[in-house]
Amino acid sequence: MSLSSLLLPAVLFFALGVIAKLIKSDLRFPPDLAKVLSIYLLMAIGLHGGYELAKADIMIAFQSIIWALVLGFTLPIVGYLGLVATRKVNPLDAAAISAHYGSVSAGTFLTAIAYLDNLSIQYETYPLIMLAVMESPAIVVGLILAAKARHTVAARNGATNTASNNSNAQGDFKAMLRDAFTNGSVVILIGSMIIGAIAQPSGMEKLKPFIDDIFMGVLCLFLFDMGMVAARRIGDFRKVGFMLAAFGVVMPLVGGVIGVYVGASMLDFSVGGATLVGVLGASASYIAVPPAMRLAIPEANPSFYLTLSLGITFPFNVIVGIPLYHSMAQAIVA
Amino acid sequence: MVSLYAEKMLNIIANDSLEEKLVCMFKKYGVNGYTVVQARGEGSSGQVSDMSGFDANIVVKVILPESKIQVILESIERKIKKGYHLTVYISDIKVITPEKFEKTAS
Repeated sequence: MSLSSLLLPAVLFFALGVIAKLIKSDLRFPPDLAKVLSIYLLMAIGLHGGYELAKADIMIAFQSIIWALVLGFTLPIVGYLGLVATRKVNPLDAAAISAHYGSVSAGTFLTAIAYLDNLSIQYETYPLIMLAVMESPAIVVGLILAAKARHTVAARNGATNTASNNSNAQGDFKAMLRDAFTNGSVVILIGSMIIGAIAQPSGMEKLKPFIDDIFMGVLCLFLFDMGMVAARRIGDFRKVGFMLAAFGVVMPLVGGVIGVYVGASMLDFSVGGATLVGVLGASASYIAVPPAMRLAIPEANPSFYLTLSLGITFPFNVIVGIPLYHSMAQAIVA
Repeated sequence: MVSLYAEKMLNIIANDSLEEKLVCMFKKYGVNGYTVVQARGEGSSGQVSDMSGFDANIVVKVILPESKIQVILESIERKIKKGYHLTVYISDIKVITPEKFEKTAS
């Protein structure tokens, strides 16, 4: 792990965004810019990946999906148990936070790709399918954990209106499941992958400037904006307390180790591919999961999960995590 | 002189992820008109909604006759008890086209 890995333009722009906020610059991007850019990034990476995947091995792709599901369903449970053990949050907050950690951050994943490209390290395209698959399962696990927590609380309080609540919750749960799997990022990513896979190669060739040439520039702009968003959250660090902030660093390490292990040993990926799976295990969602949790677990405190995923885990992964998971992957693959 | 008619305006400040849920509730009680405004700010729960689009607030404004306000307020109260962060206030307003707001659900 060398310092030069931090000197990626994208990471430097992230730092610039953080600094701009810290020195209270009046710099301000238009609202929704980060969302617009993330639509482009998902589309471009989806098209690129779909094109590559058309030539890929179906069996490995299938195995990747299975392992993505395993990670997506297990990581939130690991996170939940860890959070409950700290005794610093109630079970509903723990359920909402752990859902973020089981899901993934496309921004972190793309930064990892920039990092690997910069070092000219080859990587498999399969982690891209895993990125799409892992968006949703954690939301489902979060909902189940929250339902369980509510049940415990209700039993303790001897609530009488559980019956009517239950029938209501059933309907809500179905709607939430549908929302989890029709989530915007999932639609863009899977849709673009299919288009990339079935479109005529000559047509894809014309899209090259859109998909490849400007990609890193847009990623820089995206991380610049995200640096400012993250910096605004870093100040909330004191509000969440030391134990929770520590969770924001320890959980990605745990997820990263599990991810790298799955990528290197179970899926037999190269160092680059295993690094990407490690990043998937380590990253926490900040686009898809927060609105889902606001709807499904309104009792949980949003400033906990937003501060953790945006203010702590995202900067940690971008600056320290990615080179670290790369070193882990090197150690395991070698 | 244009005639003015008394109505109520219900304002709800909420996270934008709750828009669909609130609109559903209005429709259920026969209120079909509403206006949504983007908003940001800080409040008792300490959340700052930033303009990055990741955590934005909205204000939902609804004009309705006094006869409908109680059932909707009860429904909102149930949501708040469930844990949803909603800031609700009502104001007395005057309108010039009352027929737009008096329609009942069919």
